[in-house]
Amino acid sequence: MSIFSSVAPNSMPNRVLPVLGCLALALVWLLDLGVIQPNRIVPGTGHGLLSALGGAGAGLVSLILAGCVLLSLLPLRRRYLPLLALVGLSLALLPLLLEIFASRHLPENAPYARSSIGAGFWCLLFLLSLMLIEILGRLGSGRGLQLLILAFVSGSWLWFLRGDGLESLSLVREFNARPDKFEQAFWTHLALAFGAVSISACLAFFLALKMIRSVAWRRPILGAVSFLQTIPSLAVFGLLIAPLSALAAAFPALQAMGIRGIGWAPALLALVAYSLLPMVRNTFVAFTEVSESLSDAGRGMGMNERQLFFKLKLPLALPVIVEGVRITTIQAIGLTAVAALIGAGGFGSFIFQGLGQAAMDLVLLGALPTIALALLADALLTMLAASLKPTPATA
Amino acid sequence: MIELKNVTRRFGDAVAVDRINLRVETGEVCVLVGSSGCGKSTTLRMINQLLPHSEGEILVDGKDVTAMNPEQLRLNMGYVIQGTGLFPHWTVARNIAMVPQLLKWPREQIDERVHELLTLLDLAPAVHANKYPQQLSGGQAQRVGVARALAANPNILLMDEPFGALDAITRENLQLEMLRIQRQLKKTTVFVTHDIDEALRLATRIAVMDRGSIIQHDTPENILRRPASEFVENLVGKQDRGLKLMSLRSVRDLMQAYPQPRQPEPGADGLKEDDSLRVALSIMLWQNWNEVPVFNAEGQEAGTITRERIIQEGA
Repeated sequence: MSIFSSVAPNSMPNRVLPVLGCLALALVWLLDLGVIQPNRIVPGTGHGLLSALGGAGAGLVSLILAGCVLLSLLPLRRRYLPLLALVGLSLALLPLLLEIFASRHLPENAPYARSSIGAGFWCLLFLLSLMLIEILGRLGSGRGLQLLILAFVSGSWLWFLRGDGLESLSLVREFNARPDKFEQAFWTHLALAFGAVSISACLAFFLALKMIRSVAWRRPILGAVSFLQTIPSLAVFGLLIAPLSALAAAFPALQAMGIRGIGWAPALLALVAYSLLPMVRNTFVAFTEVSESLSDAGRGMGMNERQLFFKLKLPLALPVIVEGVRITTIQAIGLTAVAALIGAGGFGSFIFQGLGQAAMDLVLLGALPTIALALLADALLTMLAASLKPTPATA
Repeated sequence: MIELKNVTRRFGDAVAVDRINLRVETGEVCVLVGSSGCGKSTTLRMINQLLPHSEGEILVDGKDVTAMNPEQLRLNMGYVIQGTGLFPHWTVARNIAMVPQLLKWPREQIDERVHELLTLLDLAPAVHANKYPQQLSGGQAQRVGVARALAANPNILLMDEPFGALDAITRENLQLEMLRIQRQLKKTTVFVTHDIDEALRLATRIAVMDRGSIIQHDTPENILRRPASEFVENLVGKQDRGLKLMSLRSVRDLMQAYPQPRQPEPGADGLKEDDSLRVALSIMLWQNWNEVPVFNAEGQEAGTITRERIIQEGA
């Protein structure tokens, strides 16, 4: 990338950031920033920006947002670095708002009272994140800087959540009630989702190779994996109970491995079945997209089939295959939440428990880490795919 | 030397190449020319066994190709195809180094060879070595394709419509380049094209193909003067055959040479020894000259040529 292309547009006013900034400013004033609940179930009372943070806090938040808008509009030569610092720091310090809110409004002698996050806060978080993405894009920054900022923001959040100031926060309360279960759910969720993705990646690789080698296998394989995808996910989880129970009953060895009609085994099977279609299709397309004339050239220069595969076809196909892995991983992380229904564990168990107890905070405790996990996997695999593409994007 | 004896290739029931005999001598450029579907590419691809032949015998330097390991056979033959076939995920340097790497040359020798070839093909190594194929123009990419084929110094060069996808000016430049390189390296070359002008310009001998058979295999001059059939006559064009003949010969053939080359007067106009008679006549008609000085490669005046002589003896 040349120096000119990255400098010239920077001196132009940005159109996206002011819109996002103004929207954030409006929403943070219009919506409730936080809610105080007398106990876990009863709906609480909402507090707007001014009431939640007081005059000084509300003023500071408004000032920072207005500052972002101004920085992106004024004719400056270097606007994106200060913007990055401002938005990054705001994102990292966002939990501080909740801390101030809780300390101002939580009743003294009410052990069951809790503070929870309002719509205004979510909007602020979302819009600030969008602004950060836009700024990082404009800076044309490398992966190192992006990872650094991600680590900084998430580290700061973890520090705040671990601290005492947010103890009254409903999410933290729900977490503190079951820290062991949370950790267990985290590992189960990871193991199920990534286990399913790796198994289906290996399977899909061989199925795709089979499809490439013989035309006769193409339709049956694609048909079968497409069919698997059309069964509703809940039905698959349910349908697997009977055959797996029968299997486990017939072979005690399987039972010893923990394979039963419910639990991780049917969940893993269903997740693999669901992951197969995007994986097989992407892998197959990735290999068939390697142009015949390139193989012809390679073969004509004296490469044998093994060299042709490892030096030409695999490197060219890999970015597309990783793209398939990315889509499948995101899908699997989401689906694993549903697998809690058949007792597979994972963050889904909190969601279903919360739904059962009408405790929305418990639902959030399951949903938020699932979303975070999916976003993280998306970001990491996108970076991996980009780093595997050795040719420059511009001609 | 390449010999094809009674070679046939069938695709199912269809006969793509029908009992052809062809002999390409060492160091000569044999151009296979014909319309699409005449079997010229099939013939080429049978020589390096990308397509096995159905019947007959193919000998390379006296050895039957079916008796050789196909990879070994191909490593000793440069192969250039239309649209270059450069690997998009490799730099220019790595693309050129492909065959030497397959042959496990030492690293320094490969680097040296890549540098040498880029220079030979008029691509500045410092500028182009680390570019990727899609950063090159069509002409540059095809030069890299030729460099890649020459990398391990093969005796034989197979070229399958290498310049077919290029614009007219780039194509002509590459044809001239190819003539220059061929004068230096003298590779045994089989070149496939559908463009008769390209064939006439590059070939030492032309094999005209139609419906899987070789109709005529002869020098460009004989193809023009004595076409074996109406098909060949139509292919070379009936009307401008005289001009095409003139484009085969250079000014050197018909000029009146001085006993000693002289220093030219400053600013003097003239022709070059290597210009074709066709170009010479065209310039003389346009400038209305009857006699012009001819300069040699060093820029000295080597002789003169007259319009009369070109018209009398040119074709």
